[in-house]
Amino acid sequence: MIERGISQERLEILWLCVAAVSLVFFLRLINLQILRHVYYREIAEKNRTQVLPQSAPRGRIFTRDSAAVAANKPSFSLIYFPGRLRSVDAMDKMAQSLSKRLNAPFEELRAGLYKAVKKEAPMRLAENLSSKAMFSLSELKTMYEGIDIIVEARRYYPFGKYLSHLTGYISKMDSREWALYGKNKDYGMDSRVGKAGLEKTYEKDLKGRDGGIYLEVDSRGKLNRILESRKWAPGADIYLTVDSKIQAAAEEGLKRSSTSRGAVVAVDPRTGAVLAIASMPDYDPNRFVSYSDEKIADDFKELPEFNVAIQGTYAPGSIFKIVSAAAALDSGRLDPAETFFCPGYYDAGSRVFKCWEKKGHGRVDFMQGLTHSCDVYFYNLGLKTGALNIEKYARAFRLGLPTGIPLPDEKSGNIFGPSIRAAKKSYWFIGDTLNLSIGQGEMLVTPIQMAQMAAAAANGGIFWRPYYVERIVNSAGEDIFKGKPEMLSRAVLKDSTWASLKDGLKQVVLEGTGRAAKINGVDVFGKTGTAQNPHGKDHAWFVAFAGLAGETCEIAVAVLVEYGEHGASSAAPIARDVILAALRGKLPENREKSQVTSHRSQALREVVGTTVPAAQSGLKELSVSTAAAAEEGR
Amino acid sequence: MIFTSSSGLKKNRMDWLLFFAVLALLILGSFAVFSSVAVLPQQARIIRTHLIAIPLGFAAFSVIWSLNYQIFQDQWKFVYGAALLILLGVLIFGVVDKGSRSWYRLPLFSVQPSEFARIGLILAIANYLDKRIARIREFAVALGAIFLSLPVFLLLIKQPDFSAVLITLPVVLIMLFAAGANLFHLSVILGYSFISALFPVLWTVITLNSELLGSPLINYFFHLSDFGWNTLFFTAGVGVGAYLLWILSVKLYSNISGMFFAGAAVVLVLGFFSGIMLKNQMKDYQQKRLEVFLSPESDPRGAGYNLLQARIAIGSGGLFGKGIFSGTQSRLGFVPERHTDFILAVIGEELGFWGAMLVMGLYVLIMGRLRACAHLARDRFGYLVVCGIFGMFMVYFFINFGMLLGLSPVAGVPLPLLSYGGSNLVATLMALGLAQSIYARRYALV
Repeated sequence: MIERGISQERLEILWLCVAAVSLVFFLRLINLQILRHVYYREIAEKNRTQVLPQSAPRGRIFTRDSAAVAANKPSFSLIYFPGRLRSVDAMDKMAQSLSKRLNAPFEELRAGLYKAVKKEAPMRLAENLSSKAMFSLSELKTMYEGIDIIVEARRYYPFGKYLSHLTGYISKMDSREWALYGKNKDYGMDSRVGKAGLEKTYEKDLKGRDGGIYLEVDSRGKLNRILESRKWAPGADIYLTVDSKIQAAAEEGLKRSSTSRGAVVAVDPRTGAVLAIASMPDYDPNRFVSYSDEKIADDFKELPEFNVAIQGTYAPGSIFKIVSAAAALDSGRLDPAETFFCPGYYDAGSRVFKCWEKKGHGRVDFMQGLTHSCDVYFYNLGLKTGALNIEKYARAFRLGLPTGIPLPDEKSGNIFGPSIRAAKKSYWFIGDTLNLSIGQGEMLVTPIQMAQMAAAAANGGIFWRPYYVERIVNSAGEDIFKGKPEMLSRAVLKDSTWASLKDGLKQVVLEGTGRAAKINGVDVFGKTGTAQNPHGKDHAWFVAFAGLAGETCEIAVAVLVEYGEHGASSAAPIARDVILAALRGKLPENREKSQVTSHRSQALREVVGTTVPAAQSGLKELSVSTAAAAEEGR
Repeated sequence: MIFTSSSGLKKNRMDWLLFFAVLALLILGSFAVFSSVAVLPQQARIIRTHLIAIPLGFAAFSVIWSLNYQIFQDQWKFVYGAALLILLGVLIFGVVDKGSRSWYRLPLFSVQPSEFARIGLILAIANYLDKRIARIREFAVALGAIFLSLPVFLLLIKQPDFSAVLITLPVVLIMLFAAGANLFHLSVILGYSFISALFPVLWTVITLNSELLGSPLINYFFHLSDFGWNTLFFTAGVGVGAYLLWILSVKLYSNISGMFFAGAAVVLVLGFFSGIMLKNQMKDYQQKRLEVFLSPESDPRGAGYNLLQARIAIGSGGLFGKGIFSGTQSRLGFVPERHTDFILAVIGEELGFWGAMLVMGLYVLIMGRLRACAHLARDRFGYLVVCGIFGMFMVYFFINFGMLLGLSPVAGVPLPLLSYGGSNLVATLMALGLAQSIYARRYALV
């Protein structure tokens, strides 16, 4: 070694430094590339893939007789992929020509473009484009880089307001719903979710699995190539127990009523299946699917989301006489042959209680009292039976209890009787007994409770839980759910009680207040009611059940017309239409005078006939266009 | 030619291990550069420059290798003068890129003179230390080396090219260290450099956390960054403080000399003034780099984001990588500067752990051979020059690897021989030619 006059140890120290630092780098590389490799690989994958979600068609909703009340149709959306054109000028120009062709505000489009460039992600600029706009846009596609049009399934309610309270509607998610669904991969910030009715209750089944185009993008979000195009799986279809003809008759009837407000519920007394459920005012769910926010905001403000059929509570009025009559007969406190004199009022000592017939009914027995709904007869009946007894039977008839229909926010109404008063440490007066026996006072019921009660009267006391989903069929064609009758309870009354009650209710329709519901060849049992309304005109009630002459009853119906004043004149004709719609096909001879319902259901059939295949072909088109979009992207 | 083969060794004119390590890095680097620029618009220009730089570099390598390196010692004044001249010239004739005037624009490519000036400086310092080796333990000699390199630093700061300073200053210190300078003297110089860097860093921290300005002390400190009465008071305060501490130490009968306190005060004040100068010279993007080092989350889309993306690239490579030309992070543009400063990310992603290990192994091998070369050098000048080249590789290796692996700040420092960068490549090959020349003439006259 050549003598240099300096220690060479210093270089060795530096060399040791290199060795030590290399060891640190080595360990660090092991940590990064081997131990945490999976974590970094995932981030790298996320970096380069951009998913352009394509929402799956929601499951359709059909009535029992295959009319599609909720379907899908193809919808075209304008997508912008931020590309090389990212100068403010270029974007302004693009927004200008887009706004001209789309008839959309320039500022909105420009904001969308800016946002897309800022977030470096594809952005939906416009949705639900008309075919006319499509035509001029496809021309624009060649002029501006990054503009593309995709096809998606869009919710569509062919009949608009029809059955809207049951189907509900879908719309954009709010923060609460985002917390609920956001974890699911199929939901994006702009996904639509069910907001009410079936759409909400069966969101999970209806949703389906979203598809999407998986794009490889560079750091600026520019599309590089398409990695994968994943097909969506449509949601499960729901078949309802609701019959389109009966539903049409119910809605038609309500619309024709004096106020066009109220509810109709028809159930099958043999199973509890809901045949029709109409509530007015109703709404057109199509309005909320659309995408421009400002328009929807106005619509939301006046959205009649209140479902009268299950949420409206009213005094039952005279239809409660079914319960008090059953109580009187079954408890044996009343001799049906005994007569009372009705002068048109009842003097209870401290106060005079009127009969609805000012002239009075004269001397009436049970049959006549029920047939003509004589209030004075029922005052006497109530006093004889006793308020506690009536309350007991009201409980047996499940008043004050929700029917258990699987719809959100059902009201249970209010039961009224001496034991309630006692529980509240208050007093029960004789006037209360009189009010109770004719269904006035604090008693509150919902239309669906009354339909359930009518069904029970028809089938000998069985209270079914109303159900409206017959089956849910997934996209593979398998039944994933089947609706089953479920008995909630049974009111055990003597056979003779049921028999006389039915006789009385039949007389009501044949000769009494319910004559407007009479149908030749059909046994109709009914009871009118007028619910006193302290806030305005009285509400009109009619409950009925019916079957072909001499056979078991097939339908029980409750009609409420808000401010309809008289059950006999405004509610009973609607019930008649509904019953007729249900039984028309089974009548031996079609010699009915009223053809109104027939026309309506005929029209419905025609629309259904064209709509279902149209929707299906729309879906087919959809899958083709997805593939086409994938090709174009390449 | 005369061969003295007294030791019986076969005379090798070239350290082939070193040469092949360099060649391997160049090939690996070329693939990485081509892969990473494949989708860039300036792809053609980069590949062209790279393909021009390699033969040019080898030509320079061969010429210097064939020359006796001792010429550079004899003619060190010309060498160093040329280095200063090209640095001076770039301030006049150079073009501005990314805020720095550090490029000569030539017809086919641009040249960055600071890369070549560094080699000139290494030669000048090696000569300086060689001549004064007997007095190396004197502070004056150590300080002299710094003063000798001061013109280079001033010219670099004028451009401003902080990355070049960041590489060159440690090289000078390493050479001083290797020559056997007093460690205390070295730490004074290091302390001075540290303080002059610390002040801008502290001021940047305060800028980042503006709520700190609420405290009057910090507010006062922050405003020291502008020249004025404050600065004067601060200087006086340091002097008085040092004097009081000296008095105190005398009272306590400790035998620390007054020189120590005076020296400490001078270092602090000088460091402080240089810090102010540095702060006021700093360009926005340089300030940003500093900020990001201090809090990487402050700018997720800027340098911190870049570093994060580079780390994701390395991590996602795994054991064997995604395959050459298949890295998604680098090819799709998530890794910035991927053909220069972040080339290791490309290799880590495409060739995986083994690729990164190979690169690291080759650098360690090169440094190992340079170390052997230094030991074999026939004279002290050769030894010191190779130490300088060794130090240069060490600094590049530490800073670039450390930055990517999250162990040192984000600095625009390339990896020699691997990154794209014509001037750096040619200059590095020139340095290696120098080392080979020293190796070739290890124990015989030629």
